Amino acid sequence: MGVVHGQEMVLNIGPQHPATHGVLRLQVKTDGEVVSEITPYLGYLHRCFEKHCENVTYEQVIPYTDRCDYLASMTNNFGYVVAVEALMDIKVNDRVEHIRVIMAELQRIASHLLGLGAFGLDVGAFTPFLHMLRDRERILDLFEMTCGARLLYNYMWVGGLSHDLPVGFVESTYNFLDYFEPKIDEFVNLLVHNKIFVERTADIGRMPQEVAVSYGVTGPNLRASGVKWDLRKNDPYSIYKSFEFDVPVGEGGKGSVGDCWDRFYVRVLEMKESIKILRQALASLPKEGDIHQSIPKKIRPPKGTIYKRTESPRGDLGYYIESDGTNIPYRLKMRSPAFTALSVIDEIAAGWLLSDVLAILGSLDIVLGEIDR
Amino acid sequence: MTVDFIFDLLNQFLPGFSGNGFLLLFAMLIPCLILFGFIAVYALVVIYAELKVSSFIQDKVGPMGQGFGFHAGKWGLLQPVADALKLLTKEDIIPGSANRVLFIMAPFMIFIGAFVSFVAIPFGESIIVADLNIGIFYILGVGSLAVIALILAGWSSNNKWSLYGAMRSAAQIVSYEIPAGISLITVIIITGSLNMQEIIAYQQGGIFNWILFDNPFIPVAFVIYFISALAETNRTPFDLPESESELVAGFVTEYSGMRYAFFFLSEYANMFVVSAVAATGFLGGWQSPISGYLDSPGWGVFWIMSKIAFLIFIMIWIRWTVPRLRVDQLMNVCWKVFLPIGLINIFGVAIWTVLLGS
Amino acid sequence: MNEDQDKLIAELVEKGLAGDMEPINEIEDRVLRSKAKAALVKAKRSAKPQETEDHVKKVSDKSSIDDKSLSENLNENIGEMVNEKFPGSLVNENTETHIQLAPDHWFEIAGWLKSEPSLSFDSLQCQTGIDIGENTLEARYNLHSMKHNHCTEIRISVSINKPVIPSVEQIWRIADWFERETYDMLGIEFSDHRDLRRILLPDDWEGWPLRKDYQVQETYHGIEVPKMKEGWE
Repeated sequence: MGVVHGQEMVLNIGPQHPATHGVLRLQVKTDGEVVSEITPYLGYLHRCFEKHCENVTYEQVIPYTDRCDYLASMTNNFGYVVAVEALMDIKVNDRVEHIRVIMAELQRIASHLLGLGAFGLDVGAFTPFLHMLRDRERILDLFEMTCGARLLYNYMWVGGLSHDLPVGFVESTYNFLDYFEPKIDEFVNLLVHNKIFVERTADIGRMPQEVAVSYGVTGPNLRASGVKWDLRKNDPYSIYKSFEFDVPVGEGGKGSVGDCWDRFYVRVLEMKESIKILRQALASLPKEGDIHQSIPKKIRPPKGTIYKRTESPRGDLGYYIESDGTNIPYRLKMRSPAFTALSVIDEIAAGWLLSDVLAILGSLDIVLGEIDR
Repeated sequence: MTVDFIFDLLNQFLPGFSGNGFLLLFAMLIPCLILFGFIAVYALVVIYAELKVSSFIQDKVGPMGQGFGFHAGKWGLLQPVADALKLLTKEDIIPGSANRVLFIMAPFMIFIGAFVSFVAIPFGESIIVADLNIGIFYILGVGSLAVIALILAGWSSNNKWSLYGAMRSAAQIVSYEIPAGISLITVIIITGSLNMQEIIAYQQGGIFNWILFDNPFIPVAFVIYFISALAETNRTPFDLPESESELVAGFVTEYSGMRYAFFFLSEYANMFVVSAVAATGFLGGWQSPISGYLDSPGWGVFWIMSKIAFLIFIMIWIRWTVPRLRVDQLMNVCWKVFLPIGLINIFGVAIWTVLLGS
Repeated sequence: MNEDQDKLIAELVEKGLAGDMEPINEIEDRVLRSKAKAALVKAKRSAKPQETEDHVKKVSDKSSIDDKSLSENLNENIGEMVNEKFPGSLVNENTETHIQLAPDHWFEIAGWLKSEPSLSFDSLQCQTGIDIGENTLEARYNLHSMKHNHCTEIRISVSINKPVIPSVEQIWRIADWFERETYDMLGIEFSDHRDLRRILLPDDWEGWPLRKDYQVQETYHGIEVPKMKEGWE
């Protein structure tokens, strides 16, 4: 059967559009429903993160990192403090490391929940989104218990944490894990094996390994393409070495490896792995330890450069810090995983239907705050 | 309750006006006003039901309130009223580059399509506005008027999203009318009539005389009809014309206030019409499920309403449970699945009727 | 945790290892149950592993016997190899933390870095521009190899008066956007980039914000740009 070609129409998806997860403008060329070319325009949420960082002290940067990926602030803090600590050669005690890992993994679950829910929303399933937000709320309650904030925490400091764990936190977290573990299967039944959902996502937007690596796609998106790459395993930072967990990769359960469905399912599996880590971290959490023990009086890293990567829910979050020996970073660059994930959209989404493009965009789980910085 | 009946009644009481056509017009106007009031009240009820059912499905409480003050009323009962008032008082915006005449016309057109279907729906043994001898055919026919209105709305808005939505919905509604019609043909083969009341009369005598249980092919036809009806009313999983995450709001993108409310109203009115046709054609209309039990005319209204309500509840349930199909999958389902099955079904029913029918 | 609990957990773990999960699931105290589960996971890890870990070791040993010597002083080796292949490109002989290259043959060197089997830098992790003062801009590339799991940093300095560096956008596709961002922020031009325009700032923005001598423009589209407030720092 031949393909009928009509006139091409230029369509602006965004900046204000329900499916762009923020303010992103995709200029697409469409021939009927088929999209032939996608040009993303960024910068609608640009807040001069890097310029700000050159004007504030090292500790004042942390709240700014919160606001980059506002759905995973804990891991953003984590990446930054790990980088500065490596630059200054600070070693924090075991309790601090454990609490950081607990927070990061809770944040990973929270971020994945929202990402999966929003993806469901993009393909028209409204209910799973609200179910997932309901459970995310309980994680936010845990964060609120700890540091008082629900979205932008400013919790991890260079050399320590802002607050110690409150009384009853461990118990509440165990409660949450016991409640949440069976819920994952509920999501799986509601969406992952839903016939219509599978039709909409399996074999759609396949991202081959070479493309993913060349475009610097990382995190769940890369793992969905079949590359077993997780910084928590391959380049362990903090105390991830001491935990037992698997790195789920996409296996093409419903279609081919690296399609939208794989990207969805890998995130579901990752939540299970995070629960495993959380259980181990909570069980081995040291009772003793001052969380402010290693906080330096003055943060003046020695002259030098560091590029340190950590695994955020969206992938490799890198901080490139150039220090000139003062208390203000000379240059700070954030290598955001969502930035690289978005750059691949033209490569994998061109040629699909309009509905698919938005499904693919949803499956990449981007956060515009982090892309535009 | 037919127009003729009212006309006779008026003639009797106002003999002075007879003969100049005024009374006939009046006799037509009364049922229309009653129906309009009915649709408005029904829409409020079903919007409330949609809010509450979706809330239960989504594990939230939905509209809540206490008393009848400035909250949304007890259990949020006043929420749909508040919604309606909000829509009524909103600013009516017509885009500068829109085609003014068509833009204004479209919402009325779409409502007319839904509204005129109501006259052929039997609410009871004698409660029907016009007992047409081609009732079911008439409803299918005027139901297609919606397509014109949707294209008008989409084209006149001068907005690419609207145009996408309009084209999608035109393709969708025109396609899905065919399986819907084909599955209703099976009903017509069995009853041998296009008249709604006669179709209902055929199903007299309890639940097992309903056409749904007449022969093994009919349940298939019912399922095809119901799914096609979902598509015709643009409900999830077939809500592509207004899929909010893709096309912003489809053909209603540029509409606001009361004009938007008309689209909204006609969607719910359409849901009622297709459910009423399904209830009439397959579920025995206003007949009681148990022969001779509670089948006075008043109970007849209750029975058909509860059957319609049940079908609408299923529509709402589906809407809040499943994701949305893609446009090509939608067409595939229609042309490659429903149409062949529907055609085979017709043969099956025809042979069954010839061989085993009375 | 007291000793009784320790004992109990040890018992449960033993049972769990034998395949009997019921005693663990029957515990009513949540904390204890979860601890037992965690302990079980740990025990399983230490129990099964010998063969798998050995297996992994063997595989990795085989594949990277030659690379090991390379990885130990990777930067030095790369420096030597670059000097051999592209004489004159290595600007600074000191390759302790990074490799300083001249811009001229950067495109060829980048292609070689990616394709050379013993290096195979298949992923560009990060690309940064930096104004290091003294009228010099520097582009920095953090390369990483998925295959060998090693990293290196390349630095290329250019004069602020003629900041042109060959683009590597066709070697690592992500460089497309990274270079656009560097161009946007520092005004380093990447020659042969197929789509070099501003990415985060509007197209008509004046100046290069991350240069140290950047002056905020007075007005933008007729809107006065607010001055930096006192005591803001």
